[in-house]
Amino acid sequence: MATYGTVNAENITSSTGGVISPNITSLRNRIINGAGTISQYNGSTATTNTAGSYYFMDRWLVYDGSGGSHFSVGQNKGGVTPPTGFTNYIGINVTSAVSASASNNFSLQQQIEGFNIADLAWGTASAKTVTLSFWVYSSLTGTFGGSLRDNGADYFYPFSFSIPVANTWTQISITITGATGGTWLTNNGRGIGVLFDLGLGSSFQGTGGAWTTNSYYTVTGATPLVGTNGANYYITGVQLEVGAQATSFDYRPYTTELALCSRYAKVYGGYQFAATGYIAHNSSTTAYVVFPTGAPMRATPTLTCPSPTSVSIPGGYNVSSFGSVYADTAGAIGTAVTLAAGTVGEGIALYTNATTITLSAEL
Amino acid sequence: MYQLIFSELKNGFDGVRKEFTSIPFAPDNTDYQQFVRDIKNGVELKDAEGNQMTPEQITTFLETLP
Repeated sequence: MATYGTVNAENITSSTGGVISPNITSLRNRIINGAGTISQYNGSTATTNTAGSYYFMDRWLVYDGSGGSHFSVGQNKGGVTPPTGFTNYIGINVTSAVSASASNNFSLQQQIEGFNIADLAWGTASAKTVTLSFWVYSSLTGTFGGSLRDNGADYFYPFSFSIPVANTWTQISITITGATGGTWLTNNGRGIGVLFDLGLGSSFQGTGGAWTTNSYYTVTGATPLVGTNGANYYITGVQLEVGAQATSFDYRPYTTELALCSRYAKVYGGYQFAATGYIAHNSSTTAYVVFPTGAPMRATPTLTCPSPTSVSIPGGYNVSSFGSVYADTAGAIGTAVTLAAGTVGEGIALYTNATTITLSAEL
Repeated sequence: MYQLIFSELKNGFDGVRKEFTSIPFAPDNTDYQQFVRDIKNGVELKDAEGNQMTPEQITTFLETLP
């Protein structure tokens, strides 16, 4: 005879007579693309980072506070075998070593949108405990660091972890008490900043394992990856979830993960049609096109096209430049396009040829 | 260096161009936020015709941004 009752628990890891998965939600893992499955920006091609924030895989950026070009980054960079159950990882290789100054910031980051952490009640007395887990691989060993922080970068939780064996995947789990202080956005702004230290200067280092208003992006004594030429840092299975223990990685359908990423970036390229539209009735050199985005992006995106003149309109025209970008709440993203020549009122389609058009609403 | 983009749809400036990017005047866009910070820090701004804007013109223009 079945017995029914009420269970009051944050996580249920096993039960008798029934199958219960732990912590079931539709977004158990607040990290998007934690396994590096989606790589719209560069596919599996490694690229060299620029200064400041450089998004190289969906939702993942390397920050380089010293002019850029210190890392080669990309999906499966280095070509090692991922941990069992994974097919991809986020790869970083140091190509130009530097000794970080006190105020330098070299890091791998993901900015979680506020909507996706609203239930954590952070900044209140009811703040929920979370657990950050991941697999990491490096050519270096020792203590490594990272942190969580709020939007204004005025409330930090620096953490440390150990990589005991070089060139071997190590699974890490870090439980973090909910933040009762700080300002945590619950809208489409930056909710939680998750950071992995690749070489932060001494000004950003402090004692780990507790929340602080000091700008401690990492822990004192963390290994500065950027200081060793050729050093690598690979990470996958990154998960931030509610609760005091790490559960198995939250595999989502590929289409779901891609859709989640597409809220922040869409890349059209590699000989593809990118958008359709028309040439204005009052100007033969001005056109308006709409991109197929599927769902609203986080914000009106920035449009990047490294070679606008390579974008063609089959039938004889070429793009000269892209103008303003528009977005509506239903999801349509449009832009003005300047053509070298055209015929008023004609319908058109943009074909990327060898270049790309990227719409980015990343955080 | 940024250059203003004139929008015929809105009959005014509603974005800026920087190298290969078109950045909308959208407060939630992080590139727009960076643009505002850069301009306040003295980064060069040109009008839609490519003319260098004076500090006074930039100050006046900043007041019109969302």
